Amino acid sequence: MEGVAMKLPSFKSLAPTAISVASTFSRRRSFSFVRRSSSLSATITADSESVSLGQRARKDFRILHQEVNGSKLVYLDSAATSQKPASVLEALQNYYEFYNSNVHRGIHYLSAKATDEFELARKKVARFINANDSREIVFTRNATEAINLVAYSWGLSNLKPGDEVILTVAEHHSCIVPWQIVSQKTGAVLKFVTLNEDEVPDIDMLRGMISEKTKLVAVHHVSNVLASSLPIEEIVVWAHDVGAKVLVDACQSVPHMVVDVQKLNADFLVASSHKMCGPTGIGFLYGKSDLLLAMPPFLGGGEMISDVFLDHSTYAEPPSRFEAGTPAIGEAIALGAACDYLSEIGMPKIHEYEVELANYLYEKLSSVPDVRIYGPRPSESVRRAALCSFNVEGLHPTDLATFLDQQHGVAIRSGHHCAQPLHRYLGVNASARASLYFYNTKEDVDSFIVALADTVSFFNSFK
Amino acid sequence: MNSSSLNILSSPPLIISTSTPSLKPFHSPNFSPKLPKRINLNFVSKQNPKHDFPVSFATASVEAPFRTTTTADKLHLLVSEFRSLTEPIDRVKRLLNYATALAPFDDSARVPENRVTGCTTQVWLEIKMDELGRMRFKADSDSEISKGFCSCLIWILDGAKPEEVMGVRGEDLSEMNVGVHGKVQSRVNTWHNVLMSMQKRTKALVGDADVAHREGDRTVTHQRSLLFGYVNGRGYLESSSKAHRDYSVSLLPLGYDFTI
Repeated sequence: MEGVAMKLPSFKSLAPTAISVASTFSRRRSFSFVRRSSSLSATITADSESVSLGQRARKDFRILHQEVNGSKLVYLDSAATSQKPASVLEALQNYYEFYNSNVHRGIHYLSAKATDEFELARKKVARFINANDSREIVFTRNATEAINLVAYSWGLSNLKPGDEVILTVAEHHSCIVPWQIVSQKTGAVLKFVTLNEDEVPDIDMLRGMISEKTKLVAVHHVSNVLASSLPIEEIVVWAHDVGAKVLVDACQSVPHMVVDVQKLNADFLVASSHKMCGPTGIGFLYGKSDLLLAMPPFLGGGEMISDVFLDHSTYAEPPSRFEAGTPAIGEAIALGAACDYLSEIGMPKIHEYEVELANYLYEKLSSVPDVRIYGPRPSESVRRAALCSFNVEGLHPTDLATFLDQQHGVAIRSGHHCAQPLHRYLGVNASARASLYFYNTKEDVDSFIVALADTVSFFNSFK
Repeated sequence: MNSSSLNILSSPPLIISTSTPSLKPFHSPNFSPKLPKRINLNFVSKQNPKHDFPVSFATASVEAPFRTTTTADKLHLLVSEFRSLTEPIDRVKRLLNYATALAPFDDSARVPENRVTGCTTQVWLEIKMDELGRMRFKADSDSEISKGFCSCLIWILDGAKPEEVMGVRGEDLSEMNVGVHGKVQSRVNTWHNVLMSMQKRTKALVGDADVAHREGDRTVTHQRSLLFGYVNGRGYLESSSKAHRDYSVSLLPLGYDFTI
């Protein structure tokens, strides 16, 4: 049935409503008006548009329904780590309860089942980012380890003295420090793109910096402080023109929008599970097959070898080559479950909802006096992520966060958000950051703004 | 009320003789921060200095006291004061009030050597030893709550003897915790780091003074390390002969965001 329904060229001219019947057989997602009524575990019928995605999703997250310091918890720190839905926790529990076993070499039933589920999780991640082959997904401990893997494995064997690596001042520390270490060892030079007047990395400057000497461009997709996004597709084109590779830090983009590595055409892409409703302790590196095949191992040990002798060893094919030791099996399976959960809701839908939330948050936050938000102003052409880093005049962000937590149960983050160079560039020591995910609602934003106003007036009364 | 409570204690306190049982906390070598409930909030019973401390302190107390309220007294006072504030918001208010009482900080002292490491907020600490061998402190911060913590610490320790500075333990001040949850963590780490910094730098200054006297005075340094041993009954600070703990590294990983 499926094969027949997939190709429907003769139906193209018909009215969309006529095709909808056939499309339910073909499972094509391009008809956006087909309601995904089965999407969430809640028994909400398809026409309940009045209930937002956030309100519906909240049911799956028990952790959000609690009181903190006498007030309802308002969790606005998803950019630091996301909450996990019941299905992900169940998957992890199930693994340990029913088929926990070491993977890849066992013969017995449990081991075979664990291996199957582990490799299935790899396929799910590959499908989530539209990789060609699941062998292009290397499981790591987190995105930081993935970037270190590229730095030590690809970087040390490909960078020569005088080669240039292009970064931005807005990078997360995990995408700065490994390159500093590697450039010290290899003699490569790091170059940093600064911000333009809209407080986004200056793309023209980036383009100008790319030269014959450039070997790697390592940039974020979405900034965890500025909420801006970079035009990765164009950057990849410019980089490939000079023979440079591109590494994309997609930690803030994979959880929130459709990320298609075929479209982006990046050479490397990293993300962490714990920011996308998966457990901590697992992340992944996507690398193009031909690149991974040519890279030497990063960590040595079991699983990544082919044959071991006393005086030398031969190595396995990727991805195993880069996965030494027993992996975080349960976590990987739970990550697969997270990919399923997100796909069921639909990443386009999540993104659409978050754009709405992002604009609402920005609007409301900018209406509070003396608040300075970092990053670009949202507009038709500029889409912000659903987070705002900000400072209130005369109030230290740490004091602000403490008070918000103490008196209102609002959880935000304060500090440098692992982006000290960016804060130095902006001329501040620290900032406060409220970040949303699809399980937040406009009511959360409202509670936050009320709490913020209260905090500001409290501290003002002491001046 | 708040600033006035500070003033009461900077002048010689009222001496109230109470019954002997209240002497107990002052007899034990280990200063217990847990006051017997009898002790009044605002006034401290001040006994004859000679009976306050164990015998080895007698040598130190021979010199004329700079002030009659000891560091231990002030510590207990502050702890009681904060303990009586059961609502977290009242503690925050009290801290913010103390922040306003902080002496102004010279811009010339805002140098990297005076930065207290390990805090997300910026804290500067200036430390000197005066002619009488007492430790003098000044501090500032860009966060009002941190300024409050600093103000409290300075109120306790400014003008104290080095041994008294070293004798304050982190747990003694856990009552100042702004958060209801957690013990020596979150925002409390700011003052914990400041305290560590005060103690480390005091030790360094004392060490320098020691070097000057080392030639003829073996016995003095030995007594001093005995004093340290006594004041820090649990061996919190090892005697000067053992390896020194390096307080420039925060007790929590520096990447730890000291927020909630």
